[in-house]
Amino acid sequence: MENLLLTVVFLAVLFFLLGSGVWVGLSLLGVALVGMELFTSRPSGDAMATTIWSASSSWTLTALPLFIWMGEILFRTRLSEDLFKGLSPWLGGLPGRLLHVNVAGCALFAAISGSSAATVATVGKMSIPELRRRGYPESMIIGTLAGAGTLGLLIPPSIILIVYGVTVNESIAGLFMAGVFPGIMLALLFMAYIVLRAVARPEAMPPRELATGFVQKVRDSFSLLPVILLILAVLGSIYAGVATATEAAVLGVVGALVISLFQKSLTKDSFIESLMGATRTSCMIALILAGADFLSLAMGFTGLPRNLAAWIGSLELTPLALIAALTVFYIILGCFLDGISAVVLTMAVVEPMVRQAGIDMLWFGIFLVIVVEMAQITPPVGFNLFVLQGMTHHEIPFIAKAALPMFAIMVLAVVLVVTFPEIATWLPAQMRSSP
Amino acid sequence: MTLRAALDRLYLAAGAMAGLGLIAIAVLVLLSIITRLLGLYVPGLTVYAGYAMATSSFLALAYTFGQGGHIRVSLFIEKFSGRRRRAAELWCLAVGTFLAGYLAWYAVKMVRVSHMLGDISEGADATPLWIPQIGMAVGAVLLALALADRLLSVALGAPIAAKKTAPDDIHPEDSVGE
Repeated sequence: MENLLLTVVFLAVLFFLLGSGVWVGLSLLGVALVGMELFTSRPSGDAMATTIWSASSSWTLTALPLFIWMGEILFRTRLSEDLFKGLSPWLGGLPGRLLHVNVAGCALFAAISGSSAATVATVGKMSIPELRRRGYPESMIIGTLAGAGTLGLLIPPSIILIVYGVTVNESIAGLFMAGVFPGIMLALLFMAYIVLRAVARPEAMPPRELATGFVQKVRDSFSLLPVILLILAVLGSIYAGVATATEAAVLGVVGALVISLFQKSLTKDSFIESLMGATRTSCMIALILAGADFLSLAMGFTGLPRNLAAWIGSLELTPLALIAALTVFYIILGCFLDGISAVVLTMAVVEPMVRQAGIDMLWFGIFLVIVVEMAQITPPVGFNLFVLQGMTHHEIPFIAKAALPMFAIMVLAVVLVVTFPEIATWLPAQMRSSP
Repeated sequence: MTLRAALDRLYLAAGAMAGLGLIAIAVLVLLSIITRLLGLYVPGLTVYAGYAMATSSFLALAYTFGQGGHIRVSLFIEKFSGRRRRAAELWCLAVGTFLAGYLAWYAVKMVRVSHMLGDISEGADATPLWIPQIGMAVGAVLLALALADRLLSVALGAPIAAKKTAPDDIHPEDSVGE
């Protein structure tokens, strides 16, 4: 009975604060405060300060601003042009032709940046005008971009996976590795869809451009080489176990600075812009995390997560049924909240539930990211849609409709990852067993 | 210099310090890699990186707020206009000021208590904890100040920042994790 009251109070305060527009991090702080004051006799304020201090000053968390900074630096280089020029000669021969540049470009940029909106913006900046000029169907240009942009959060480095890893205390290196194959799989699914569409209606696609010779192709993509080497160095050092996620991130920052120096896009202004951009983003996330840390503490004192987990356990749901229920829950939540807020907000309650069901936490992280990402291409709050609206000046319903097939593909990806969990768990297991 | 300009300069200065904090994280992590490669052991480098992280996050709070960098659910209040929109904004700012003030109060208290009890870091660095905790306290106070400042301005009739629509040149920092 008291549990029911607790749940209702927490949810009511939470929805009211969030819904009325109070900043997410402060809302979480407010809910926790109400919970502590009403249901426990502990001194809230002191517990809050020490909890937030120890969580905010953790070494694991330092990977976050560093990876954000790396993406910010490379975002300000010529990468956008290079991606289009370098990838199009290789993909022009496939059915669907240059539409594949959208997917491959997003997959590649995703390996640099941890954000899907940044991925959409960087790839789209060049590919939207180029593809339009060549007469590709508008809905395909926009749909593939919206969908493939979500790879930004799945393919490491991923900001949301760092946040998840810090929140549930799992290895960030392991999570990154777990995201590699699901990311590649999703990219291949998107490409398969483009091929199918092109084969079904070949007349809708523009004709093939003149094929270039192999040597010319290599020459065209030469400018991508430094970035690819940087990606391999960052991910390789994590996989080989020679660097922690934080150390690999600082390697990424240094590499990104060197690349932008050689491309002559590193100026005093661009350096400061990238630094302050990264500072703002990490600060925004840090405030949400601080609020979530206090909320977890407050909920822990009330015993609610433990009881809920026990209750779910007593229902004797199969793990599959639990996963299905959580999928629906997160898609609905994602209609109102951004991905990071949705994850940190729910973890205090969902983590014990999932652990109790015996579900692998690395696998769950990947599942969670795909599901939360699906919400980013559905209205009303789908950030990839907003980015594309800004870039193309189409109405949101048009963009959402163009992205709908991608949503279906992501549902398929979730089904595949649930059916074959090894897609996510195999690579991190290899890493652990290596000396 | 007017009070307005002085406050804005204060938030910006804290933001700049936060930027330096981010550079400090990178340098500390680099140092820890280099010393490890050289086979040296410098105690506390990783702990210091954590302190720089906390300091950078908190000092940037007010500056990020001023730049509209903290996310909120604007889905519902965007539907309002005129006086109702203004009332909603005042509510958010009032709640925000209270919560940030609460955080600031106890962050300052934490520094005082750490200092009084002589708390020492549990890590290899054995730093007196109140020193790195100052950054958190200062940042929290500045956030509370920035929110109170904005609350007062809006109450006195300052325009509410236009709702955020996606600009033509999207900045990735506005949308990480979305």
